[in-house]
Amino acid sequence: MPCAGGASSVSEPDRTAYAARQAQLLDALLRGSEPPAGFDAAHAGAAGSSLRRKRGRAVAQACPALALELGDGFGACFDAYARANDAPASGAPLEDGLAFARSLRHVTPLDDDVRVELLLARAALRRHGVFAGAAWLRRPRRRLLVVVRLPGLGTVHRSVPRRRPRRD
Amino acid sequence: MRTTHVTWQLGQGAGWRPQLDGALARASGLGFIEVIAEAIGGHDLPAGVAAAVERGLQVVPHGVSLSLGGAERPSPGRLAHLASVAERVNAPLVSEHIAFVRAGGRESGHLLPVPRTREALAILSENVAIAQAALPVPLALEHVAALVEWPDAEMDEATFVSELVERTGALLLLDLSNLYANAYNHGYDALESLMGFPLDRIAYVHVGGGRFRDGVYHDTHADPVVPGVLHLVEALFSLADAPGVLLERDDDFPPEAELVAELRAIADAVRRGREQRVRA
Repeated sequence: MPCAGGASSVSEPDRTAYAARQAQLLDALLRGSEPPAGFDAAHAGAAGSSLRRKRGRAVAQACPALALELGDGFGACFDAYARANDAPASGAPLEDGLAFARSLRHVTPLDDDVRVELLLARAALRRHGVFAGAAWLRRPRRRLLVVVRLPGLGTVHRSVPRRRPRRD
Repeated sequence: MRTTHVTWQLGQGAGWRPQLDGALARASGLGFIEVIAEAIGGHDLPAGVAAAVERGLQVVPHGVSLSLGGAERPSPGRLAHLASVAERVNAPLVSEHIAFVRAGGRESGHLLPVPRTREALAILSENVAIAQAALPVPLALEHVAALVEWPDAEMDEATFVSELVERTGALLLLDLSNLYANAYNHGYDALESLMGFPLDRIAYVHVGGGRFRDGVYHDTHADPVVPGVLHLVEALFSLADAPGVLLERDDDFPPEAELVAELRAIADAVRRGREQRVRA
């Protein structure tokens, strides 16, 4: 059968305009803002929410302690974050979760489990070279958790008690 | 253009995910699995996938990042990876989507629809031809579930997909859940739409679960397959045959017995449809 235009060439300007229209739609979906003219606003809203929810599910799976701490509030909280912040270029949910948690640190104090999770995430995301990091934990007593990761040797954690126990 | 013809029988399949590894290894009657190409590393296959190849299951690499519907031409690196996975699993074919996943340097994180216009068809056809030239096996194209549609569509989805398949010689990966989702969410008849698809070009069929939320059907792949989709499976097989039917489950993984029951429900729908066709 003859096949008209099987590998027909499209001139650059067409691709450029096409790219701009796709970028405009994508921006509206990611930000949850008004879609470009002609699009159904309710449908675009549902599509944008769905993108952010999918991203949030991946973060919740990568950072279960963080998801547990936020509980039912996770969805709304992550949605607000995702509207304002693109996913990391790597696409890695762990990196996304770490950045999300950093954005919350100024709003709410994070639980010990979350601080441990985030510290280990930072160690795991350091693909090359030495990682050394620490986080203050509060329970059962105030102490410093130190994590050191050495290439080829693995990860070591040590818990260092605070020198002078608080009298309370 | 390379027009490819279906020379394989796949049978019943399931999307391989690490969380389903045990259940799929034990499932009886599976003929093939599908692996997300981007989830496979550059060197070793996941042990479960390698074991499936050993057991004689056919493996179809399924790409999610080529962005064939995007404005950019598909990247040689991504194509080389898809080709390498196809070779390593000895795949009869590979599949990708009629969608874009990045624009303006940003990733969408999910498959987004393309405008159903002549211009989009021309760009897509060129991108598909580039992909076909770089792949060692035939390419099947899957239409996606789209919550949002582009304005000023010049044709319906079935016509758009038919045109693309005809222009490129690619095969169709018919996703009955996506078809159901689009018909439901955009208010048209699913069965009528199904009849407009190029049913003689089916490489295999996708079936996935979903849920209704706020009057919208979401193609979640994290819920059971809804009855409306099973009806479409039956309807399809009453109209035409297809080389394989695959269940996609990507999240909220069910207990093994539920998964097995769902595979059986799909096989039953296929059998009922075939019986109607034979009688007709």
